[in-house]
Amino acid sequence: MPGPAEPSTPLRELGELPGKITATFQSLQAASTVSFGCSEKDAVYSEDKLTLYHYRPIAPSANLPPVLIVYALVNRPYMMDLQPDRSLIRRLLELGLDLYLIDWGYPDGGDRFTDLNDYINGYLHRCLGVVLREHRLESTTVLGVCQGGTFSLCYAALHPERVRNLITMVTPVDFQTSDNLLSKWVQSIDVDALVAAHGIVPGEVLNAAYVSLMPFRLLQQKYVNLLDGGSDQAQIDNFMRMEKWIFDSPGQAGAAFAQFARWFFQENRLLKGTLEIGGRRVDLQRLTQPLLNIYAKQDHLVPPAASTALERLVGSRDYLALGLDVGHIGMYVSGRSQRELPQAIAYWLQRR
Amino acid sequence: MTSESNATGDWSVALQKAQADMLRQWTEMSQAWAATGPAGGGASAAADSGSVPDGPESLGRAFLQQCERYLGVSGSLWELMNRSAAMSDPEQRARQFTDGLAGLQQQFASLWTAPPPGAPPAMAFGMPGMGGMSGMGGIPGLGGLPGIGMMPGMGGLPGMGGAFNLPALGPTREQQESLQRLLQLGARCTQAQLQLSGQWNDIIGRALRELGERLAPRLKSGAPPASMKEIYDLWVEAAEGVYAQAARGAAFVQAQAELTNALSQLRTAQRELVEEWNKQFDLPTRAELNSIHQQLRELKAALAGTRG
Repeated sequence: MPGPAEPSTPLRELGELPGKITATFQSLQAASTVSFGCSEKDAVYSEDKLTLYHYRPIAPSANLPPVLIVYALVNRPYMMDLQPDRSLIRRLLELGLDLYLIDWGYPDGGDRFTDLNDYINGYLHRCLGVVLREHRLESTTVLGVCQGGTFSLCYAALHPERVRNLITMVTPVDFQTSDNLLSKWVQSIDVDALVAAHGIVPGEVLNAAYVSLMPFRLLQQKYVNLLDGGSDQAQIDNFMRMEKWIFDSPGQAGAAFAQFARWFFQENRLLKGTLEIGGRRVDLQRLTQPLLNIYAKQDHLVPPAASTALERLVGSRDYLALGLDVGHIGMYVSGRSQRELPQAIAYWLQRR
Repeated sequence: MTSESNATGDWSVALQKAQADMLRQWTEMSQAWAATGPAGGGASAAADSGSVPDGPESLGRAFLQQCERYLGVSGSLWELMNRSAAMSDPEQRARQFTDGLAGLQQQFASLWTAPPPGAPPAMAFGMPGMGGMSGMGGIPGLGGLPGIGMMPGMGGLPGMGGAFNLPALGPTREQQESLQRLLQLGARCTQAQLQLSGQWNDIIGRALRELGERLAPRLKSGAPPASMKEIYDLWVEAAEGVYAQAARGAAFVQAQAELTNALSQLRTAQRELVEEWNKQFDLPTRAELNSIHQQLRELKAALAGTRG
């Protein structure tokens, strides 16, 4: 007769549980001061909350135009340079690329009226100006990440003469694909009421939305899984760095947030060609420069179809879509991404 | 069957011991945190602001809460499976398990409905029915605002509850209207929370049924999961699958949006009342600051214009 599973197994699990909890907790405590960000960089420009960084070279130059990395507003950019063995930036530096990065900082109550025009035609424009002046160039490469990729698309469409090559990474373009759960939720949200209530929309609100996409996994199982590797300090350190990044979310300037939620998520203006920033229409057909669109095949935040929609909208004849079999966060830190992505970017740039 | 009964008895004893051990760990950690002095206080303050739970206190709490929930979920599932697996008839075994799962709905739902003690505010004020799972309705800080009756200058107003629908009259009619609006918004929030809780109860029930469907064949064939962790992982997989479907449904989307929108309006109404109080003491208000920020923006734009 088939009886219950080996009774000693759960009994052993129960018996071991307190010890595992203690060991894991001690490792978590030890990891609570882990550092993040590993590549040396210099602040070369700052304005309001924003800082433009220039990374110090660690390898002979590849003699390519500098790359301006435009990160998203909704998370901190150190995810791209988390630790030596999980750093897209470090891998690109090793290949001789000259990198700049915009760190948008943490908006406060004084930024509640900062809007998308300020971010795109203001801050981003001036940061690129600093890079171009420093290198005496008319145009250079822009690498936009996630929401920063959307900003980069808008910017390049408005100022195509200043963007020599455009690389977008896990970048949403079609905000209403059928598999986009976040978008479904946003459709019925009264964005104006939300912004009126907060001024600066707290990062916690956004985090809550993100973890609610897979609540059983992201709010419980991932912590329970720690019990199995609790004594591996390196693993716990990695976990804590990631945990720090996930919940280290800047508040969002209310005006920009409202515009982004309404124009992009609710009205899908970028896709429809009806988006205007600063009174000028964002016409993606004006993007005729070489364009590399990198997307994650397992992305639950920016589904592949949301990114690959770009191909049919741009005027560029030199368009390449590159899908990696990783998730949204895996694009920055997974082993596969670390191995494949930097080389792909450098190779693509060298041929342009 | 005797040995199986003994196994069940051993299991119950072990489960009780694990729960007692966890309580002891809670106590020991709490004492350790209390002894950390200013550093511990700093960590607590960070947690209260809803920021990253990186202090030892908030980290420990969050971690132990998850462990408790894990024990609650996997322990209950294992106990049920163990009881079912003890039956000799395969059909009866599977049926007992699936029937028993229905009895767990309330318990599992409550794991997600009640905020865990000491949960950071950002997580505690989430969508109803989610407990620690704070959703888009989870507007941090809202729950920390004083209750309507505790709003400055309002606690003493007579008949506030009954004033819900009365016409506002007399010298305090403006304040009465503000209060009525607050009460209406509070009621709307409660209603929205109930709606969303209903959605969550439904999700948990369907997830348990899904788990039963997945496990019944294994129970029939006498190859049940071998460990608590395995059955827990199967539960998570089933729950995420059901949730992924439900969260896309119109009813869930609407319930979640209604709660978020109601909470936003309630928060704004609360702030307006606080500002009225501020004005009485000639204290600055958010509205004043906003006006100044707007003027600064215009000045900066004008300055940039003159510079070309």
